Order: sequence, then C-alpha cells, then structure tokens
Amino acid sequence: MSLEKITDPRNMKHWLGHMETDYRYTLGIAGERFLNEIKENARIMGSKCKKCGVIYVPPRMYCEECFEKLEEWVDLGINGEVYTYTVAYLDREGKRLAEPVIYALITFGDAFGGLVHKLGEVKPEEVWIGMPVEAVFKPPYERKGSITDIKYFKPIQ
Amino acid sequence: MSEVAIVGVGCVGFKSIMPELSYKELMFEAAVKAYEDAGGINPRKDVDAFVTCAEDYWEGFSIFDEFVPDQLGAVLRHLFTVSGDGLLGLANAYMLIKTGHFDIVVLEAHSKASDILTFYDIVAFAMDPVMVRPLGGNPYYIAGMEMNRYLCETGTTIEQCAQVVVKNKRNALANPYAAYGANITLDQVLWSEPCFYPLKKLEISPLSDGCVVMVLASEKVAKKLTDTPIWVEGVGWATETPNLETRDWGRAVYTELAAEMAYKTAGITCPSREIDFVELSDLFAYKELQHLEALKLCKYGEAGMLLEDGIITKDGDLPVNVSGGCLGMGYALEASGMQRLLEVVLQLRGKAEGRQIPDAEVGLAHTWRGIPTATGAVAILSNIKE
Ligand SMILES: [Zn+2]
Repeated sequence: MSLEKITDPRNMKHWLGHMETDYRYTLGIAGERFLNEIKENARIMGSKCKKCGVIYVPPRMYCEECFEKLEEWVDLGINGEVYTYTVAYLDREGKRLAEPVIYALITFGDAFGGLVHKLGEVKPEEVWIGMPVEAVFKPPYERKGSITDIKYFKPIQ
Repeated sequence: MSEVAIVGVGCVGFKSIMPELSYKELMFEAAVKAYEDAGGINPRKDVDAFVTCAEDYWEGFSIFDEFVPDQLGAVLRHLFTVSGDGLLGLANAYMLIKTGHFDIVVLEAHSKASDILTFYDIVAFAMDPVMVRPLGGNPYYIAGMEMNRYLCETGTTIEQCAQVVVKNKRNALANPYAAYGANITLDQVLWSEPCFYPLKKLEISPLSDGCVVMVLASEKVAKKLTDTPIWVEGVGWATETPNLETRDWGRAVYTELAAEMAYKTAGITCPSREIDFVELSDLFAYKELQHLEALKLCKYGEAGMLLEDGIITKDGDLPVNVSGGCLGMGYALEASGMQRLLEVVLQLRGKAEGRQIPDAEVGLAHTWRGIPTATGAVAILSNIKE
C-alpha cells in the first residue's frame, strides 16, 4: 500500500485491458421472418398461439405459457400506443446528450409484448402514456432487415 | 434437517473507489475478518465448501470462477461460483448445509466496480442483441421507462421517490460501511440533473467497491463458533423474464415470487406483522417503494404513503434500509445483496451501533440484479430459533 495520499486513482499501478468480443447472433425462424416483413413489406407481424390465442410481439416460435410451437402469423399494422417512455439525457458514456432521445415501449392492441423503440417528430413534453403512435420506416433501399429499419414511432395526427 | 445459521461476517469497504487493493486483496481482507468473527476458523481445514458470486463481465475475466480460491484460503478445496447476486449465493450455501453433508460453508461476493472503464457498455451487452441493442444509447433508459410506468399505475409522486434518497443517504451517515452518506434536502434531489425522465441523478445509486464474506454453519456447529448465531429462516429467488417487451413494467413480479417462496420456507403468513425491519434494493429510488409493495409489506401503490407517514424511517414501525441501502452504500454489483444481508445480521446481533433498531428479531434482506434484469432474491433471518 502506498504511504502517500492518492488523489488520483489513475496514478495507482494498474494494467489496462481490452476485451474483444464479436458475435454473429442467429435470428432464428421467428426473428428472420419478423425482420424480413419489416424490410420487404414495412409491416409489423406477431405470432399467435393456437392453444391459448396469445399473440407475441416480437414474434417467437413457441408459446412461453403453453410451450406450444407457434406457426400462425398475424399482421399487427403499424399503429400502436405508448405504454411507457423516458427522455434520455445521457449518452452511453454518461455524458450529456446535445439533444435528448425519447425511448418508449410501443404496444399493439391486445398483442402480448410490444417494441422498445425511439419516438420522433415530437417534443419530450408532448409525449404521454397512452399516446397513439405510428411506425416511420426508412425508405426501402435503406432497409437491411434490422429493428432500425423502423426509424422511430411518431404521434398519429 | 439441520437449521442454518450465519456465524461470521467480514466486510471491507464500501467506498466509491479502493485503488490501493486488487480484487484478490479485497476478498482476502474481508475473508480474514469473517473467519476471525466465526470463532477463528481455519479455512484451510475447517470449511467444507466455498460459494462465491461473480459475473465475468463485471470482473473483466472469461470464466472468473477459476480466479477465486487462493484469496479465500480455498486452494484445492471445494468451491463453485454462482453468476449472480450474493443472496443467490446464500440460497446455494443454505441448501448445501440443508443436505446434511456440509457443516461450514463460506459465502463471498465483491465489487471492484471502479476497475470497470466502460460500465454502461457491459450493461448494454446484457440486452437483446437483435431487438434492443441496435437502438443504442445508455441502457439506464430502461429504469426511466419503468419508473414512469410505475408512477402512472400507482399514483406515487416524484416527491415520494425523492424522499427515499433523502432518507437513505441520511441513514448512511451512521453506517461506517457506507460510501455515500449525506444530509441533503428534498429540493436537492428534485433539482438534481434529469437523467432518464422522470429519473434524476441523485436517485441513481452510484457504484462502489467492497467485499463481504460470511460463514454459514449447521445448527450443531453454529453454537460452538458463536454465541449469537443468526438463523436463515427462509430463502427465495425468481426471474420474471429477460424480455423487455413482455415484462410487467409496474410491478416487480420477480420480487413478489421470490418473497412468496421465502415466506413459505420461513412460515411467514403476515409479513407486515412478523417482519421487524427490511433491507431491500433501492438501486433507483423508486425501486425501494416498488420492492416494498412486491414484498407484500403494503398494498401496490401504498409504499409512498408509508414513507410520508414515517413508517419506514429508522424510528418507524417498519424501518427500511437503515444501512443506507444502495443509495447510501453504493451499488456494489453482485455484492449488493450482501450489503443488505450484512446489515440484517448486524442488526439482529444488536451490533449496529448508532443505527441499532431496538428489539429487532426478524429481518428481511432483498436484492435485485439491476438493469436490465428481472431477477431478485429474498432471505428471512432471525435471532431466535423457532
Ligand atoms: Zn399459448
């Protein structure tokens, strides 16, 4: 231990490490169809359990309640509502953002689940829980089969 | 089946940063204290098994469990690591003793959070890689979303949430293990920087470094090691779901389920009457109120009023987080539950000094694994054997 008062911990002896971790995450049957529908047809799909009737969004290939395989697909449209939201003022490093970002969980009717996404074309103080919103998609040539093919959700006028 | 007791505790920290000690030295120092506290046991021959709690990414190691034996005196002995909070480790240690094959089990959890240079990147890496991660941003936005929904469903006010910070930071002033004790006003909390609306800067537990080691023993051995065994009456744990999309954003369902399990093991039917004090996860201020409700210590949406009525302050009928909680002691990653457990043990021993709750007999320790998890654990402890 040092006998002198340490005022800056960076002055303590240390070794810097960096962890390289690159992965290729498999989308799976449900994930691939879901993202492909967004890319090709600009629509949000759910998968339905034929046993209990629950519609999952994002879709899955099995029902967590019944443990059934899900094979029926349902078009949920592009309109939903804000279930909850937040206004983020900090970036990944904890620094102040120049412009705050609004994140929200968007639900779609009776479907179980929803999508976590950003809100756009709206000021933070104008957002409310229950607000109807619609998906704004990137133009087809920019879409690559990612959740960010949806640019954001905006209030329905 | 043998009863299970905590017979020794050792704590180093908690401080915002402990740059003078490596993580191994931190664990060593806490272990030395715990073994001495447990009647001077020798870890090289008296301990039947060791349980440590760590998550690889917090540590900066792949397969961190290989790096724990020597600093605990556990080289060439029986050890495993739980990749979860210290209270999940407690559940494992408890079960080992319950089998009847183990008399002394050592439990350890630590935090060297100050070694992590990219904390939020690790948290972000815990989120769904396909549906959520591509959105980017600081993953603590999830806490803002949850708080907003919780306030909307319950009518809990931002003032009530802010009051939790005032209470817990003040409580922490009397706790030598707390890193962030302070006398602050409600306005200071309310006017602290907005971070993730409606969550403000002072409502977020800052990280801290520290380590807690505990020695558990079977009934037969416990009485030989200490005059004040603290009995583990029940443990419970649960995960709701990793999916942000389908989880309950108002209620802490994982805590409801964990508590139900712990109450059942402990034979508790009316928690608010049978439990004398509570240590729970207040990683974000609103979480204290939400968890209090999930523990069935009041109805959903009523915790804010309990706070206003002074019931959960140090001198109230049901003191909550007399230690200062995570807001006062600092968020110690997988050692967070051990902070809670440590306080419960000290209170039940009557050794909590300036913050002692008079006549405490049954205490509850609770933890939550933080953003973005929906995992929690509960333990019920008592200083009287049924
Ligand atoms: Zn089903």
